[in-house]
Amino acid sequence: MSRLEGRVAIVTGAGQGVGEGIARRLAREGAVVVVAARRAETGEPVATSIREAGGRAECIVTDVADGESVQNCVDETVRRFGRLDIMVHNAFMGGIPHKLENARIDKHWTNMSRTGVWASLFCARAAMPHLVASSKRPAGTGGGRLILITSPSGVEGSANIPLYSPAKAAQRAIAKSLAREWGPHGVTVNCIGPVAGSPALLTAFERNPALQDAIEARTPLGRVGDITEDIGSVALFLAGDDSAFVTGQTIICDGGSFLGL
Amino acid sequence: MSVLVIGDGPVAEHIRATVNSDVDAAVIVTDVDGRRGVGPIETLDDATIDAVFEQPMQRVITGLQRAHAAGAKRIVVIVPTIGMSGGDRHAVHAALAEAARITVKSAARQWGADGITVNAVALAPEEFGVDPKVSGPVAIAPRALTGAVDPANAVTWLCSDAAAHVTGQTVVCDGGLWM
Repeated sequence: MSRLEGRVAIVTGAGQGVGEGIARRLAREGAVVVVAARRAETGEPVATSIREAGGRAECIVTDVADGESVQNCVDETVRRFGRLDIMVHNAFMGGIPHKLENARIDKHWTNMSRTGVWASLFCARAAMPHLVASSKRPAGTGGGRLILITSPSGVEGSANIPLYSPAKAAQRAIAKSLAREWGPHGVTVNCIGPVAGSPALLTAFERNPALQDAIEARTPLGRVGDITEDIGSVALFLAGDDSAFVTGQTIICDGGSFLGL
Repeated sequence: MSVLVIGDGPVAEHIRATVNSDVDAAVIVTDVDGRRGVGPIETLDDATIDAVFEQPMQRVITGLQRAHAAGAKRIVVIVPTIGMSGGDRHAVHAALAEAARITVKSAARQWGADGITVNAVALAPEEFGVDPKVSGPVAIAPRALTGAVDPANAVTWLCSDAAAHVTGQTVVCDGGLWM
């Protein structure tokens, strides 16, 4: 039997990049996946592609910066599929290079705060009762999981996008706090810090091949991660039964570039 | 030379009264307040997120900018350890503390070339009105050192030229509670 057979997952920001990779990997292991994307133009093709590959997926248009939209996504997921076991918050907007001394709250912080920090809290708040219910199911048939996608920059800071780091750091603190809060319910909360071939990074490589060389040179495994096989597989571990005793942690998945945790 | 202290409350008042430096220096006290916004995640509303995380975090950002504009060469941001430990029913407080602490690292990386050091000093949760029991190990393990904990000496050192090559770091000054 597939490892996530019968489980239902929401993956935010699954219309592309890391979120898409995670959605595909979870679906391949039998999970019903809700592709939560801000735009149907990106979410629907991913859901269709998963179905064509034999999986089960539907797109629900969701703006993670809006708490009501996140609540609607969760409610609609439970209405359609009867349960929610795995909530993956990956969506994120922002990351414009800036000088900290000149940074503007509205231009360089608000989007990252809303889609990183506020949205993590929205996802947790909306999913919580369903994740607890999942953990009450018989062993091997459930287990509530909240997974937040953070970044190595959330640990080590960033010289180029200084306010990206606190948004990602806050997600790690939320994960640790909720791990304590939800541990008695059997729900685990963890983070993944990926460096992967997202569309944004691949576009940057096309524009600046030296950037790819530099990243690969500083990476012991010598390459950038694959969104499905590398990052999706870490998410699969955290989503499934094998990680039942792992909570409050961050798994940095970057080929060994960052070793400071 | 006096030190620019940005923030309110007992910790800020204590720093204001005790810390001096021969170098232009600034200290920003993060406005974590354990008396408000405490509760399980399912009871969290948007107004609480704004009051407990968003507005204080924006004050950390603008505080760093103010310190930079004032010509500070030594900048210290004071946070509670709850950002590193996490806290039961304190997800928003922990988010603020850790966001502030990691902003220090970004600032240190950007401003280091100008000879500016930026560091954090982390204090025990109760200094910010947060019950230490919410961070499990802090409650389980006794504090290593006995007696009162005064962060002023650590802050003074980080504000001095003696710490000119220390930047992006966090000095936990809680008597050995969180390790």
